[in-house]
Amino acid sequence: MKLDIKALGTFYEMAREGAGLAAGRLTRMTGVETRVGVTKLNFMRGSEIHKEFDDGRDKVGVRVELSDGIDGHSVIVFDRQSALRVVSTLLSEAGEEFDDMSRSAVTEVGQIMNAGFIDGWADVLETAIDIETPEFVEGSTAQEFIGDLEEAPDAEDFALVFQSRIEAVDTEIEFQHYLFPERQSMADVLERHRDPNSVGIEYDKLAGFDEMAKQGAKEVASNITTLTGIETEVEVRKLNFASLEAIPEEIDDEMLVGVAFELDGNPSGYLLFLFDEPSAREVVEATVPSPPEDEFGELGVSAIKELGNIMASGFIDGWANVLGTTIDHSPPEYIHDYGAAVIDPVVIQLGEDQEFAFVFDTVMRANDREFDCSIYAIPNQADLERALNELDVEKVADAETKADVSIDELENA
Amino acid sequence: MKTYGSEPGAPEPVQVGISEFVVRGRDAEDTLKSYGLGSCLAVALWDPDSGIGGLAHVMLPDGDAADGADEKPGKYADTAIRAMLRRMVEKGAAYTSVEAKIAGGSDMFEFESFGDGVGDRNAVAAIEELDKLGVPIVAEDTGGQRGRTVEFDTSTGTLTVRTADGDHGVVEL
Repeated sequence: MKLDIKALGTFYEMAREGAGLAAGRLTRMTGVETRVGVTKLNFMRGSEIHKEFDDGRDKVGVRVELSDGIDGHSVIVFDRQSALRVVSTLLSEAGEEFDDMSRSAVTEVGQIMNAGFIDGWADVLETAIDIETPEFVEGSTAQEFIGDLEEAPDAEDFALVFQSRIEAVDTEIEFQHYLFPERQSMADVLERHRDPNSVGIEYDKLAGFDEMAKQGAKEVASNITTLTGIETEVEVRKLNFASLEAIPEEIDDEMLVGVAFELDGNPSGYLLFLFDEPSAREVVEATVPSPPEDEFGELGVSAIKELGNIMASGFIDGWANVLGTTIDHSPPEYIHDYGAAVIDPVVIQLGEDQEFAFVFDTVMRANDREFDCSIYAIPNQADLERALNELDVEKVADAETKADVSIDELENA
Repeated sequence: MKTYGSEPGAPEPVQVGISEFVVRGRDAEDTLKSYGLGSCLAVALWDPDSGIGGLAHVMLPDGDAADGADEKPGKYADTAIRAMLRRMVEKGAAYTSVEAKIAGGSDMFEFESFGDGVGDRNAVAAIEELDKLGVPIVAEDTGGQRGRTVEFDTSTGTLTVRTADGDHGVVEL
């Protein structure tokens, strides 16, 4: 199956259109003013989807099976409190439990929203999509919601998952929408919407590259531990396809401390490591022998840049090894600013030549203290396409069978 | 100065995301807000007579040279300014009394690929377009290396600019 930027762009437009229609219908039905949050196409392993779902919060959902224009499942997931708030706008006597009445109210809302998404997709794809009867689902883990879906990926499988967030403007109602398309059906749709002149990216190569990039992320975690003594692990790792302007919108409004690099080689692009302020303070305290009073003074800045340099090398070496290319990185640029402002210069520069981007998005966490580090690697799209197409599939296949072997071991094998 | 968010019942500012613009009349109770502009640029247009105003959060300089500016005029400085001005006039603003305030367009990274600076390109494009249209720029806070959050109050025409940098804090344009 080939992934073509134009066809993926159509998918993206479809997800956004669907989210807009679904939000509008929720507003009409409940009177709650809503807005569409971030919409993304995520390429994720099953294990990552489960991790993201399993945040310990109780949820309710409404899912439907689709067929014809696109096969798969469309699932609306509310956190429990949000669902109860929605019910309270519809029923005069809503309790704290889901009785038959409130279940059917949520199912009704969920179904109307699912139908909104699906109408949006059908518009963009210019096709009809059939919907089965909705099911009400309740639980707190991915198992209850998608465990029995055939098209939901197994732990190690790589799948395309559509994700949109819709939130209410003045009240705390928010929910996620997921579309799990069936693989063959997705391949057919991609094929129909592709640009005949574009080379595209072989799906299996992207999957293979992603698998290997995992090693790069692990390498970064181990570099952090070596330098700071903070035991970190890779919390979430996904590959998104999104419009460039969606990238800064997803970042929190809080102040961030970060280190940015420009990548030169195949692929070129940008690499950013972003910490929230408490995490950046931890880094300074852990690396500077007698920590200064102002963590973000000269000493602190140089400590953070140093850590950034080491993380960047680990990350980039991981990529370059898999791709068999050379990638150089610029000296680190330190930044301490509002979240979105940290990343918009990069998005703007890429925006000169492309509308969408693949974003390799990784979150590192420590178990024993406040330490959050988000890594954004955003390659130039044309370069990424070229590098992946030149990727040696056998090496990827070989690497996949040795998924737990480090890159160094592979290189020396 | 009005503060939002802390008073009970005060309306939340309307978020103007990247590539979007929003137009409001004088009676609007809510303000328009763009968070965390780095190299992006905020363009606020206001007609003091009718009280009609708008805020655009532009990402790139030149829509006339790009495909797709028709679908997303708010993405580019030139097309956003024209589309916003047109919308304001449709709502009853007098073209000749509209004035502009701009903020943002920082250049926080010195990367080779950035050339003269991506933020600077946005500010220059907006200034050129406003000049072409004969809309005077009555205040600006652009460039530098810091991000900004802006809030535009169309009832007064005040554009409040906050920088992350403690030294500058809050500026009212």
